Amino acid sequence: MRFAGSDNAKMRQIGRLQMASMIDVVFLLLIYFMLTTTLDPPESELTPALTSSKPGTPTALQPQTIEHERSGDIDAFRVGQRVLADRDSLAAVLAELPKDSGVIVRAPDTVSVDWPAAAIQAARDAGFDKVTYVPSRD
Amino acid sequence: MNFEARASRDHVALIDLTPMIDVVFLLIVFFMTTAQFASMSKERLELPKQQGETAGSPEAAIVVNLRASGELIVSGETITLERLLRRVAADIAKAGSADQLDLLVRADRGASAAILNDLADGLADRGVATWRLATERPAGSAP
Repeated sequence: MRFAGSDNAKMRQIGRLQMASMIDVVFLLLIYFMLTTTLDPPESELTPALTSSKPGTPTALQPQTIEHERSGDIDAFRVGQRVLADRDSLAAVLAELPKDSGVIVRAPDTVSVDWPAAAIQAARDAGFDKVTYVPSRD
Repeated sequence: MNFEARASRDHVALIDLTPMIDVVFLLIVFFMTTAQFASMSKERLELPKQQGETAGSPEAAIVVNLRASGELIVSGETITLERLLRRVAADIAKAGSADQLDLLVRADRGASAAILNDLADGLADRGVATWRLATERPAGSAP
């Protein structure tokens, strides 16, 4: 004979556990996280070197220089005599140049931040390890 | 004797909630781990859309946000360039070397490079040799 503490009694006890409130809380938490989650776009970084634009830093090497050139409505890039309209063309031209001396990005005050970022990216894409950001006050 | 009613109660009691609760908990864990909680140091800006060199690291000693309007924001507070450079100088003095300075510039792609140039000049004058410029990876690009 099985009296108190029998399996049936235990089962009935377990069956009376109030799951509804716990499930409510869990669903509320789920809804909260679903609503408050913000998906930020993934960020990356460019790490150009900084060099003072002031004179007095002579160097034996002649680095390549990327300068700004206004070409119609677009902010183009000038490397030597070549004017390039977009980042990919700039990267293609830079890829053919010697890399040892590095490259200088001369950003004038008149452009937006997009321009030097594109120039630095093009230099990195072309394989330059040494990219220097120099403000251009001309 | 009411056999049918009892049978019905037994049937209801047999609904197995365990897998559903498992799934819901897994969803909660997923959202908790993937959620990127808003950081005080990061303003909502439209960064230059470039692939970048390295994945953005979450923390830097100084995170400088440059709005399209030209305002400089550090730790959620609008700050002048002079004050920012004083803070940079203090951090350099504390670290003992300008090479130790970890500075991340998050500049809106539409902001004028003039402010970036002023900042670059100020940093270079204080011996800072490098900085980090935040970019936003274009959609669909490989990490």
